[in-house]
Amino acid sequence: MNQPLKEGRTRQSSFRVIYPPMGYDSIPIAASNAKEFGKKKRVNRAAKLKQSKLDVRREQWLSQVKNKGCKEETNGVSGVKMPAERNDINPSGEENEGLRNLCSDSESPFNSPMSSVFGSNRSPSHFTSNSSSSSSSGGCCSESMTEEDDGDNECLDDWEAIADALAADDIKNDNLESPEPDSVTATMEASQDDCCARAWRADDVFRPQSLPNLLKQNSFPCFKNVCSPSTCPICCEDLDLTDTSFLPCPCGYRLCLFCHKRILEDDGRCPGCRKQYDHHGPGNLSSKMGRSYSMIPRR
Amino acid sequence: MATMNNQDSNNSNNRTAAPPTNASKQPLPTPKAVDTQSVLKRLQSELMALMMSGDSGISAFPEEDNIFCWKGTISGSKDTVFEGTEYKLSLSFPNDYPFKPPKVKFETGCFHPNVDVFGNICLDILQDKWSSAYDVRTILISIQSLLGEPNTSSPLNTQAAALWSNQEEYRKMVVEKHLYKKPNH
Repeated sequence: MNQPLKEGRTRQSSFRVIYPPMGYDSIPIAASNAKEFGKKKRVNRAAKLKQSKLDVRREQWLSQVKNKGCKEETNGVSGVKMPAERNDINPSGEENEGLRNLCSDSESPFNSPMSSVFGSNRSPSHFTSNSSSSSSSGGCCSESMTEEDDGDNECLDDWEAIADALAADDIKNDNLESPEPDSVTATMEASQDDCCARAWRADDVFRPQSLPNLLKQNSFPCFKNVCSPSTCPICCEDLDLTDTSFLPCPCGYRLCLFCHKRILEDDGRCPGCRKQYDHHGPGNLSSKMGRSYSMIPRR
Repeated sequence: MATMNNQDSNNSNNRTAAPPTNASKQPLPTPKAVDTQSVLKRLQSELMALMMSGDSGISAFPEEDNIFCWKGTISGSKDTVFEGTEYKLSLSFPNDYPFKPPKVKFETGCFHPNVDVFGNICLDILQDKWSSAYDVRTILISIQSLLGEPNTSSPLNTQAAALWSNQEEYRKMVVEKHLYKKPNH
């Protein structure tokens, strides 16, 4: 019991030496900003789950913990931030001891399974001393109590974030590797030459489907199956996960949801094949992805 | 007179009623600004793509101070009567590009059935057959191919349309007009 405590003490003291110059207030703000930024692109489900769970204090707390994985300094922050409260509560000579307890305590559940055990062992004594001093310690107590069962969720969240990032990277890499530039643009150019002489003159909307489809598949080969673009071809913004699984037209032309909505408000034709988004030919439906579309694909 | 007054009072009522609605609709300009932003992004990436593509016979670049106005050049394709000629074009992009097509005009006079004397081009992909999947590059390529394959059934320049069947004479005309025009540029 004493041994790991000392370890925590020395470790923490080194942090204390380095980090106190940073303002108590500025760091949590920065941390929460970083959190918001990372949160933006995350799946809705995770965001909802989190929001329902967090009150203001815990949000602050968790944001520090979350950033811990990437930034060492937030360790220092969580160590420093708590003593600030502690100072108000208990300005006695014992303060430093309690401070260090708190510091190593706050850090422990996330460092290793070993220290998490110590953390939970130590916390009761720590909280009793706290609760005797003021009512505000109640919040502090509940923080640390929930902190541990929250740890798993946090990990999960982080893993989801990492998985998202990895998936995004993979997509990018795939696109980089795919032989898009030369061969495809060459064929595109060639077919464009063919197309604009003839294809645009006839009312391609009313033409038999098989005829223009062949032409058009040739004229937009990179939308079909060579690659799924990493950016929206219309607005050039990055496609997120929802966008990349969004296949609004059987011709395979992909675009982001914003541009799709914009086009629906306008003339509602797919930019890739100029057909109306609403009524596709029968049999083409199967190529649509059921996930983002409520229509049931026909077999 | 009384009706006039009534109308006036109605108008003034409308005017007084207007400010609150305007105030409530103040968020509207922001999406517009965002739109312009995305148009900028699109045009910038088009410029990048165009410069990287290294297409022969077409080029385009924004004017100095305005990325919504580009100057382009196309050269006549080989084995057409326009071979060896070069034409300057202007492209002006609307704020809702690429959902609406840019306005494209020949700056150099072009003797062509589908180009009028003011340089206006009759090309369906620049009008009703526009698709937001098109970009500057495909427009220029389309115009380049339009040179060699005009639509003589609905001409803007009837003289050129009539002469098209006689390719030798047409070639002479093109060269003559082009040589005549060239020193101006």
